Amino acid sequence: MTDIARTAQLPPGTRKGGHRLRSLLRSPSGLTGLIIIVVLAIVSLSSFFHVLPYDPIAQNPPARLLPPSAGHLLGTDQFGRDIFSRVAAGVAGSALISVVAVAFSAVIGTMGGLVAGFYRGFADGVIGGVTNVLFAFPPLLLALSLASVFDRNWFTVAVAIAIVYVPIFIRVTRGPVLSLREIEYVKAATSTGQSQWMIMMRHVLPNITSIIIIQVALSLSWAVLTEASLSFLGLGTPPPSPSLGSMIFEARTLVSIAPWTMIAPGVVVVLLVAGLNLLGDGLRDTLDPRNRGKR
Amino acid sequence: MLRKLIHNRIVRRVASMIGTLLGVAVFVFIMLRAIPGDQITAGLGTEAAALSPAQQEALQRYYGLDQPLFTQFFSWLGNLFTGNLGYSARAQQSVLDLTLRSLPVTFELAVLSIILALLIGIPLGMLAASKPDSGRDAFGQFVSLAGLSVPAFLLATTLLSVFASSFGFNPNGQGYATLAGDPLLNLRQMLMPAIVLGFGIAAPILRTTRTAVLEIRSDDFVRTARAKGVPARRLQTKHVLGNALVPIVTMTGLQFGYLLGGAVVVEQIFSVPGIGRQVLLGIQQKEYAVVQSTVLVIALTFVIVNLLTDLLYRVIDPRVRAS
Amino acid sequence: MWQRSRLTRGALLAIGVATAASSVLTGCSSPATQAPKPGASGGTGGALVVGVTSDPDTLFPWKATQFQAVNVLQNIYGTLTEFDKDLNTVPGLAKSWETSKDGRTLNFTLRDGVTFSDGSAFDSKDVKYSLDKIKDEATAAVAAASLASVTSVDAPDPQTVVLHLSAPDAALPSNLAVVNMAMLSSDDTEASLNTTPDGTGPFVLKNRVASQSLTLVKNDKYWGDKPKLGSIEFRVIPDESSIVSAMQSGNVQLAVFDDPLVAKTAAAAQLNVAKTPQLSYHVLQLNGRRGDLTDLNVRLAVQCAIDRKQVLDTAALGEGTVTGPITAPAFKSNPDQRPCPARDLAKAAEYLGKAGKSAGVKIKTIVSQGEYSTSVNEAQSLKAQLAEAKINLDLEVLESGAYVDRWVAGDFDAAVALNGGRPDPDGMYNRYFTSTGNLNKVTGYSSPELDKLFAAGKASTDQHERKAIYDKVSVELENNAPWIWLFTSYAYTATTSQVQGFIPMANASLQYLRTTAVN
Repeated sequence: MTDIARTAQLPPGTRKGGHRLRSLLRSPSGLTGLIIIVVLAIVSLSSFFHVLPYDPIAQNPPARLLPPSAGHLLGTDQFGRDIFSRVAAGVAGSALISVVAVAFSAVIGTMGGLVAGFYRGFADGVIGGVTNVLFAFPPLLLALSLASVFDRNWFTVAVAIAIVYVPIFIRVTRGPVLSLREIEYVKAATSTGQSQWMIMMRHVLPNITSIIIIQVALSLSWAVLTEASLSFLGLGTPPPSPSLGSMIFEARTLVSIAPWTMIAPGVVVVLLVAGLNLLGDGLRDTLDPRNRGKR
Repeated sequence: MLRKLIHNRIVRRVASMIGTLLGVAVFVFIMLRAIPGDQITAGLGTEAAALSPAQQEALQRYYGLDQPLFTQFFSWLGNLFTGNLGYSARAQQSVLDLTLRSLPVTFELAVLSIILALLIGIPLGMLAASKPDSGRDAFGQFVSLAGLSVPAFLLATTLLSVFASSFGFNPNGQGYATLAGDPLLNLRQMLMPAIVLGFGIAAPILRTTRTAVLEIRSDDFVRTARAKGVPARRLQTKHVLGNALVPIVTMTGLQFGYLLGGAVVVEQIFSVPGIGRQVLLGIQQKEYAVVQSTVLVIALTFVIVNLLTDLLYRVIDPRVRAS
Repeated sequence: MWQRSRLTRGALLAIGVATAASSVLTGCSSPATQAPKPGASGGTGGALVVGVTSDPDTLFPWKATQFQAVNVLQNIYGTLTEFDKDLNTVPGLAKSWETSKDGRTLNFTLRDGVTFSDGSAFDSKDVKYSLDKIKDEATAAVAAASLASVTSVDAPDPQTVVLHLSAPDAALPSNLAVVNMAMLSSDDTEASLNTTPDGTGPFVLKNRVASQSLTLVKNDKYWGDKPKLGSIEFRVIPDESSIVSAMQSGNVQLAVFDDPLVAKTAAAAQLNVAKTPQLSYHVLQLNGRRGDLTDLNVRLAVQCAIDRKQVLDTAALGEGTVTGPITAPAFKSNPDQRPCPARDLAKAAEYLGKAGKSAGVKIKTIVSQGEYSTSVNEAQSLKAQLAEAKINLDLEVLESGAYVDRWVAGDFDAAVALNGGRPDPDGMYNRYFTSTGNLNKVTGYSSPELDKLFAAGKASTDQHERKAIYDKVSVELENNAPWIWLFTSYAYTATTSQVQGFIPMANASLQYLRTTAVN
């Protein structure tokens, strides 16, 4: 929740793409992050292709609260639902919400930042004002209120999280755009009579992609945490769809009699967030021009 | 003269702060009305369906819901300027009184968390930076990763149930004690929530410290000092840390601002009657005045903390000081 | 979590009280055997801390529907009649009452020597004031409709109150036993009572810190047996698991839970947990005015396609009993007296066929998340079962505010609900299923037969005759399936070993704090 403050701060610059993946793989944190995310992605994808051992929402009362065993790898919960299947589906759910939320905020925030930084003046004033207002609003409380406005489903939760994160993307992109605007070749492009839209898309946007990519990775981890916190407060993904946050919430009352109900989703949510953080770090190491040649 | 005033940095800053707060006021007002239900249905639940039209009318008058939205907004805003933040029917107290009780609680929690975070973050950050890519660096990285990745509610729930069931240690189960009333009990009650929050904030502080120290170490003046034979320890604390303070202070200020509203989950789990919980309760009960005024107070604190951070930044940054 | 631990408002309007003996999970305390402590002045006699998830949202008894508010106010205010632990209506502030031959007047004789906590005397003037005010729509008292049959109130002398009725009303004495009918002093106003309660009950408000704690002390001038406790603190701990933790560490001694899982945890933590069957019932409410559900055959198909025991087992860990409409012990419906006592998919298909809907129907169902712990799981289980009968429940899981909004507007095909029960079936269902009932606009079902039966039930004072009438009401309701009654569940009272003499009640009421002691 508090790491919403972390932003990608690097000077704008371009790099050729080919080396990126290789150097990401060479950075230890990036590699670890990538491995964690890939493993979790494979597990959660299995929930989309119906190859999970059990239906994550099917209740089976006789098999209630079984400890981990060969039949149920991570045990069962109070309704006899298989925890492994639920965790897998929960990761998929969390990932879906986070990806959609961050995609929304990245697109809208970047556009906002581009327009504000490039046109300045009135547009900058309005966008800056909105950004300040959203920033001054306590983020979790904002997400919480937004989540109670709409009929609740995974999409509206994603939108609520997206709205909270838009200002971050605006702020992260606006600065670099401001400085790029003054760079010679951008000025030159302006004088050759290219439309401003073209200049923004062709010359400015490509130069800030690294910043956006890093910010996306960091935001994803934050979005996962926010979704989990909202579910924990009863305002996230509505049940019975499994969500890591609501699984932990439900397990709280069970932790003394069936600790496995809490451990599995707890460990996985930590792994997921840690994986995204590591990936973000790796990307920063790779993409930050200041790191060029350091490693 | 007027031109000069407009261009005055401070005037502009203050004007922008007021604009921001006004925006927050409008935003929270509209958003609250968009949430389904009102104070009547929040209080009566499905029993509200049994109200006769006359009863319904009486209740709307009682809660001031019969006024047009425009009137509601401006009477609330107007009252703010006279120091009247509204009245909570649930608590039978003015929102000002409620806030005067809950804001210091969250403030104390935030300060304690920040202190803990600094105590963890700065030494570990310096330790990590003292030998990059070594074991101690890895340790620092691990702690910061854990701080970033363990959700506060998970840590809080785990701590509470482990300590209460295994050690019978649960000061938060005793009624909340104020700092003035029973400082010892109060601090014990703040301990677990502050650890949970502090651990989370320690991570960005640790990272900031590490990066800043590494960067400054490579700066020219540190090299010069080293060449001049300034002892390593003194160099570490005085020059390096002194210069790394700027980003650390910025980061701390930011985190402090976010804590004011972000502590709500932890306040809820540890029954700490802070300002986040006040907003949460207000949203549940649809007590519009409570939510509006409290959110505005949080926003005000946030912009003030930001302003102070900026000022402090000016004071401690040698480069800014010099110019 | 914030909306999670509240019971539904239906249950909150806790007009109903105790049912038969409460069964015991692990060594519950027996009723007050503790010798009362000597020295009767306030402050002595032990202090009890009750853990609650939220503090009262109002201190004004006529408007209190929230569970926590009702629980606190019951200990502060007095009513003309009261319930004993077995649900019988017994004397309260009125020491006796009698109904005239034609059933149109009700004479109350008041107890003498009763005073309010501010020291002023309680007499018939206060009763007349209170009843008139509750009836006055401008007061917006939630129990106003219970006085619908009362045309006027007289106070011929300080100890006598006469109620004139438009028609006989056998349910009236029990309707007067709830805290929403509390007797207030004619000198007090709503504004003053909001901050300074002034009642005739066993305890007096001493101190309140909003959203943290509320402390009551013993009322030395209470007319009944003096309470054993010197003080009771209702301590707000928003999180139910944190309450269990606080009980484990001995900081809280008593709490009431509705979630069987929390109760299980409490029992595992060496606390005494007593479970008490509740009058409130879990129900699938069908909206008989919308879409396919206007057809009786479709409603009966729904009725036949549900295995109630399975809903209970999957959603509530089997913690409860399958029920018919009437849950009060004295009038209990026979749950086997319904079109399909056991699940019968063939019959369901037959009914759907009769309705011309063999291809299946779609029912938009609202579910509130968080109001009570089992709602979503019930909905889930119902959806799975009905799908096998080609009845597709389209679930909309709503935050409680949104649910209430939709429910009040009648904007649903079906609603999963937990409704409060009452000891008298007239109070319980008249408002839903008679054409003039104040909730009939939501229920959407009434019939001349039901109107006639409810009128007859109200007019009769003979217990056997009334039982026979309400049995017919039950059958009539089940045969027309406006709602699908599912099961009743338990309330769990957790206490530490120091607590003695507390009697849990069927509405999870804390009325018997007056006989409780701690050592």
